[in-house]
Amino acid sequence: MKPKYTPSPPALFLRFFRAYCNPDIQSYIEGDLFEMYERRIKQSGKRKADIRFIIDVLLLFRPGIIRPTRITINVNNYNMLRSYAKIGWRNLARNKAYTTINVAGLALSMTCGILIFTFVKHHLSFDNFHQNSGRIYRIVTELHRDGIAYRSSVPSPLGGAFRNDYTFGEKVARVYTERDALITIKDKNETIKFKEADGLAFTEPEFFDIFNLPLIQGNKKTALTAPNTAVVTEAIAKKYFGSEDPIGQTFWLSNKIAFTITGILKNFPQNTDLRAGIFASYATLISYDRWLAHDTDGWGGIRDGMRCYTLLQPNVSPTEVESVLSAYVKKYRPTSKNVHQYKLQPLADVHFNAHYGGAISKQKLWILAVIGSFLLATACVNFINLATAQALKRSKEVGVRKVLGSVRTQLFWQFIFETAIICAIGIVTAIILAAAIVPYANNLFNTDVSINLFSDRLLIGFILALWIVVTLLAGYYPALVLAKFQPVTALKGKPTQQTLGGFNTRRTLIVSQFAISQVLVIGMIVIINQMQYARESDLGFDKEAIVMIGAGGDGNINGKEALKTEIARIPGVDKVSLCFGAPASDNDWGNSIRFDNSSEEVNFRTSIKSADADYLSTFGLELAAGKNLSPSDSVREMLINEVMVSKLGLKSPEDAIGKYITADGGSMHAPIVGVVKDFHDKSFHEEISPILITTFTEDYIAYAVKINMANATSALPAIEKVWAQQNPDNIFEYTFLDESIAQFYEDEDTMLKLIKTFSFISIFIGCLGLYGLVSFVVNQKTKEIGIRKILGCNIVDILWIFWKEFARLVIIAFIIAAPLGWWLMHTWLQNFKFQIHLSIWFFAIAIGGSLTIALLTVSYQVIKAAVADPVKALRIE
Amino acid sequence: MKKYQLGEFEEIVILTIAILNNDAYSVSIKDEIESRLKRTVSMGALHTALKRLEDKGYLKSHSGEATAERAGRPKQYFEITALGKKAMRYAKETRDELWSAIPKTIFQINLAD
Repeated sequence: MKPKYTPSPPALFLRFFRAYCNPDIQSYIEGDLFEMYERRIKQSGKRKADIRFIIDVLLLFRPGIIRPTRITINVNNYNMLRSYAKIGWRNLARNKAYTTINVAGLALSMTCGILIFTFVKHHLSFDNFHQNSGRIYRIVTELHRDGIAYRSSVPSPLGGAFRNDYTFGEKVARVYTERDALITIKDKNETIKFKEADGLAFTEPEFFDIFNLPLIQGNKKTALTAPNTAVVTEAIAKKYFGSEDPIGQTFWLSNKIAFTITGILKNFPQNTDLRAGIFASYATLISYDRWLAHDTDGWGGIRDGMRCYTLLQPNVSPTEVESVLSAYVKKYRPTSKNVHQYKLQPLADVHFNAHYGGAISKQKLWILAVIGSFLLATACVNFINLATAQALKRSKEVGVRKVLGSVRTQLFWQFIFETAIICAIGIVTAIILAAAIVPYANNLFNTDVSINLFSDRLLIGFILALWIVVTLLAGYYPALVLAKFQPVTALKGKPTQQTLGGFNTRRTLIVSQFAISQVLVIGMIVIINQMQYARESDLGFDKEAIVMIGAGGDGNINGKEALKTEIARIPGVDKVSLCFGAPASDNDWGNSIRFDNSSEEVNFRTSIKSADADYLSTFGLELAAGKNLSPSDSVREMLINEVMVSKLGLKSPEDAIGKYITADGGSMHAPIVGVVKDFHDKSFHEEISPILITTFTEDYIAYAVKINMANATSALPAIEKVWAQQNPDNIFEYTFLDESIAQFYEDEDTMLKLIKTFSFISIFIGCLGLYGLVSFVVNQKTKEIGIRKILGCNIVDILWIFWKEFARLVIIAFIIAAPLGWWLMHTWLQNFKFQIHLSIWFFAIAIGGSLTIALLTVSYQVIKAAVADPVKALRIE
Repeated sequence: MKKYQLGEFEEIVILTIAILNNDAYSVSIKDEIESRLKRTVSMGALHTALKRLEDKGYLKSHSGEATAERAGRPKQYFEITALGKKAMRYAKETRDELWSAIPKTIFQINLAD
């Protein structure tokens, strides 16, 4: 017997043929095609047979063979649509509760969807408006010691050397940004002071060849070549000089250096990380900071804010450049234990790479997008739940329509149309809501998103897509169920659960909704606890009632000491210390030290905190061994912390006393006189660093003032008064230490706010869905409840029947959510070096909370049915 | 008066079916036309013609056996209906009538050219 023959003509075309062919003659023609195909394989091989087959299929595509179009083609859709709209509207108006729940759920989740979309889009568009943005790179540094640290800045001479030594960079530009710059304008006899948080950038002219930041006045080529020249943005020019012509005007930086304005930049768009508004010529840097501008000394270290951008030649790969850059390390830092590796970071990565200070990681954007889709999905699920429950009421209408000749597709589209109406109402509400809450959301989450509905084509597209997708997702299943009704059963009476079907589908939907919201709730509880832990734990120093005041100006140490004495005399001031910064602070001076007269540097980074003898008492730091520093105006003695002791390999703090430390490239050389107990010098994200405290007066840039809270209101103005007398040209600035420490957790705070909002919304939507399902089930069981009541059941028993059912769903949801939540939050906690344990209580609260909310939702409907007169329930037949 | 409408290709097809007698199905018809008339016939054209002839009532069809080389698909055999036969005859008669009306000289003159 011949083996069964299975021809294998091109599948795509066979499918195409099957799709169009008239089913009456399909099998005959298919047979012919196969027969011809096989014959041709024998004659001329498979390839030719395939080609002939394709030609045949294409030639068969002609009238007479193509399946006839269906008869129910609608010639005039308009009237039908109008009727659908009318019927749909009446239906919605009649079932106000149902409509409200649906619209509320949809609108809420769509609002989130729109806001998240705008937010994500805003972040993805960062710095995408430069020509050749694919070739623009920022040179960044990896610092390899006992661990790897990442800096977005480079040694200052690197850019210049790279430009002169290699031809890889078409353009290379160095930019040094001094943040929190003090700008003054000397107007006749008055001095106007400004603090520019985004700072002033010393910029090489090529910067404006790399980036698309056009000048509206002045010449790009020459504006920034001469020393003491600057270009500013329109906004800055307006702020400083109002309506006067800004070109040729003068302003001062830190009251030291004067700049003449030679050009005006067009205001930057929102979506850029280049934030400075004042660009001074790089040639001026030498008079601002000699070390930074020096051609070889600058290799010794990295100053934050010293950036280098390059536009690579086409065809040059970043790895090629990275490999030549390593030569600089050998040449200029041959002995340093702090091994630099220079990397090229693509411009597109700048906004997202957290290592180098990126604003937000792509992962976070993804998480947001996923949460947004989850919320939309739960709202759709709800809609499906409610609509199928509602379908009972529509069965008569469907029956009548079917009897009068409606076909299934027509009914299907009718219900899709109704869904589209609800969605449209939802989306309009969502747009209004989103536009209304955007300012609050920006405020709450520290974002700067704007919604321009009329100019933002992408947003309009998104909204339309959202409308269509949600309509189809939410409407598809209910429409299918409704259109499927048999006219006879539909007209005879209530279709039962069986005909409606899918009760399990709805259970699954409820379970998934609750699983999502419980994951969010678990996340919320863990974050709240970790934040509380970070805020309320003992940091090893006193952070209450301490005000940090900027020292201001370049006053010499004597002036600062004098002011310190004056501040200490003010009633309400307990203690004052002159220092570089608070024990825990973002301000941090890293150093490579040598220990005990060794000629080799140690392999870890030491954070040097310059402070006077009052530092320990002001912050309540405790000594583990030795004594405090004695007052001095030069580096005579040093304190270290316990982490440093163990990193140096010493057994006990006492062993460190009397040993010498050499730091700051040899300029500091002093014995250790004491060891302070460890305190957190950074956020809980980071380990405690090795710390060295010494009286290096050049670095005294702040007064730490411990205030007696009872007199706080009078003390601060008094301090400001004496301060202003000493520093007439500067701006008095202060922060409360506990607030600036809270700032360490800004990201987490934002995340907490987000997750709180989302869990609330998801629980709310989940409850709407549950409410819908319960009303459906109660409706089904009206008779059962009646019979049970007659047989002596009380309300609690009836409640119990329903509670059992829904508690089971919530518990199943919890079984799914708990491991997922545990895993997610465990991963999240890895961000912290000091973290809480995931307690079983967090999970207990999550399940307890969801159960309570779910059962309350259930009870409302059930009690209503349970207290009803059983006679009424049983009479209806 | 369009009593028996029969297009050129349709005529060839129906004649071929007549030749093949009881063995007429699409592939055999196609082969027969191709071998006799030395012209290629596309499957599409043939099936359209067959369907049109069937719609006009000149042909009737029945399913035949399913064979292995057709992957189990049946053959559709065609035979000519009485109406079909009338139409064929009508077509032939009208041609003959026209032929006989042509003056003999036409061909001679052409030959002389």
